[in-house]
Amino acid sequence: MWMGIILAVVGLGIGLLIGFNIPVILPQDYAKYMSVATLAALDSVFGGIRAAIEDKFDHGIFVSGFFSNALLAAILTYIGDRLGIDLYLAAVVAFGVRLFQNLAIIRRHILKNNTK
Amino acid sequence: MSERTTLYMSILLVAVMLGLILAVQFRAANRPANTIATDRAKELIAELKKVNQEKENLRKEINDLTLKLEQVNRGKSEAIKALQNELEKVRMLAGLVTVSGPGVEVVLDNPKNGEGIMTSGMFIVRDEDLLKVVNELWGSGAEAIAINGQRIIATTEIRMAGPFININTTRVVPPYQVLAVGNPDALANNLELPGGLVEYLRDLGIEVTVQKHEDLTIPAYAEGKPS
Repeated sequence: MWMGIILAVVGLGIGLLIGFNIPVILPQDYAKYMSVATLAALDSVFGGIRAAIEDKFDHGIFVSGFFSNALLAAILTYIGDRLGIDLYLAAVVAFGVRLFQNLAIIRRHILKNNTK
Repeated sequence: MSERTTLYMSILLVAVMLGLILAVQFRAANRPANTIATDRAKELIAELKKVNQEKENLRKEINDLTLKLEQVNRGKSEAIKALQNELEKVRMLAGLVTVSGPGVEVVLDNPKNGEGIMTSGMFIVRDEDLLKVVNELWGSGAEAIAINGQRIIATTEIRMAGPFININTTRVVPPYQVLAVGNPDALANNLELPGGLVEYLRDLGIEVTVQKHEDLTIPAYAEGKPS
């Protein structure tokens, strides 16, 4: 368990380091898609943490969910742009709601564990 | 064990990806603060266009000026050539170069039947006689004249200095050999005109011979140096 947390923190650090140092700057047009994809990824990560706390963690579901959610969110936003509908709002709302739900559940689990 | 390894690998992968996405997104979102406003960009683009055009104009000007400079240089070399030609001509006229060509040779000598060569009197060749000969030759179209190797130039004097004649401040002694470059026939004819100079000199008792030459060489004027 602790190994996983350490790995996650180290991986996050490496990713941030790479992201801040690569010379490529995302064009303004793609920043919107990227933001929705980021939201989806964050949601997946919090879902994964929650699953780990509930001992239901499955790394296959976790990884596939992470990438497919991010990709789908980005594609949805792109299609919405083409059609003239602000579809990214749907993604923001859906993932936002799930994010806060997951956060609430994680909070409760932690509080319960501490009071035990 | 391999189960756990894949678990850790997946966690690591996702964490790295998340960090990457967050960092990129952070930079993309923060960028507008740094490089704001399409207005500014448009302004800069317009300025760039203007500067480029200015550059183009200046380049054209450079070409133009280079061309002009070339023309001027070419003109300069031509002018130099013309000046050199002129200089050569003037040097020839001034007697600073050796001249050769067809001409006549006039030899004047004191009368042999006198009491002696150095006796003063009527019957020796005087400066006036030489001056007359030189004058006649110039008048007949001579291009260059020399007496006993002394080139006759604009400042040349021919005058008696005691019993001798000085030319270019150099003493010359008889027989006086006058060389003149020019049309030999014209020169000789003018000298030997009936009642002309040669006849007059012969009447005075001076021995005069006129000879045409196909090729004469007249030395250049040598200032201060006796030739």
